[in-house]
Amino acid sequence: MKSDPMEIADLKAELERLHSASFGWALSCCRRDATEAEEVLQTVYLKILEGKARFRGESSLKTWLFAVIRKTAATEYRRRLLRSFRLTADTDEVDDRVSPFESQSQTFERTEAQTHFQGALKELPRRQREALHLVFYEDLSLREAADVMGVSIGSARQHYERGKKKLRESLTRLEMGYGNNWRRQETSRAV
Amino acid sequence: MEIIGDDKKLRALFNEAQRADQAASPGFTSMWHRAQARSTKPRRAFRLSFAVVTALLLLTLGSLAAWSMYSLRRNQQHEAVKNAPAPKSAIPVNTPNEPKTNDGVNIAQQAPPAPMETPVRRRSPKPRALRPAAPGDGQLLAKNETAKETTIDTWQSPTAGLLSSPMDGLLKSVPQLNENTNEMKSVLPGRSNDKEK
Repeated sequence: MKSDPMEIADLKAELERLHSASFGWALSCCRRDATEAEEVLQTVYLKILEGKARFRGESSLKTWLFAVIRKTAATEYRRRLLRSFRLTADTDEVDDRVSPFESQSQTFERTEAQTHFQGALKELPRRQREALHLVFYEDLSLREAADVMGVSIGSARQHYERGKKKLRESLTRLEMGYGNNWRRQETSRAV
Repeated sequence: MEIIGDDKKLRALFNEAQRADQAASPGFTSMWHRAQARSTKPRRAFRLSFAVVTALLLLTLGSLAAWSMYSLRRNQQHEAVKNAPAPKSAIPVNTPNEPKTNDGVNIAQQAPPAPMETPVRRRSPKPRALRPAAPGDGQLLAKNETAKETTIDTWQSPTAGLLSSPMDGLLKSVPQLNENTNEMKSVLPGRSNDKEK
């Protein structure tokens, strides 16, 4: 069953506005894999077009969209896992695909602090990473983050606090290991 | 949410990542159009996995039905063979010239009967459609019943000769009430002797 064309037109404008934030969230849900994130986002748009995902106004559009992205990413991840158990030829085919954004991300000159930061973020458990991303990156409140993650606000708060603590610890460890002071870098940038 | 101290630094790092992601983000319009193209594509009605599962299920059911029919027929054949009339050679016939044992029983009768051979059903080379119609199960059963009745009437045990004796008349008769005592003496010889003494 397809959605109403008028509804879709309205929704399209909103989705366009939220597109880059949605892509960032999809990236976070797909462990920073740009190809997978793009595929997930496209599947989400397809779900909306086909009326499989409907916004009923129970929460904000951003929260609803992010919840749909999160669920779709989980489904796609499971599918990829199943596909990896199949024939080697199929796996090779999947692996050979090169994302147009992969090269861009590779060419992007990341600061050393950013590289360490992404590494530390990847080390975190999924829930903690999600909570931190939704609060710091997407600028959502803890309640909204809890809605997106499908957990209670208390649980979201716990994930957020623990994640923050772990992230700080790993950044300090990395800083000591590589002799890089990310704090100092940030300070100098601010000046 | 209030952000203090280290949180500010974390936010700065997240903001930097956000800027990088925005630069690498694909265009919304192209992605939307691709999604639209995917949604207008006709869905594949034939799912391979579904077809395989259905075929396997049908195959299993078919083989089960065939096996049950085959086993039913086999049971019927066994029943028919069991109910078939015994060959006439099994009935003992006393002939005076045959050698006998001390008990007067024919040696030929003592020998164990030869194992009865069951008729082996051979498949006709003709296809089933061309073969004449076989008699129905009901007809076969009725035939077996009549054969059984006739054989039971004429059948004799192989040891029937041992049971016959010259006193059969006395042993098989029952004394009647109000019978003469003298006549009873013949039945009870011991008691009559005691009285005579």
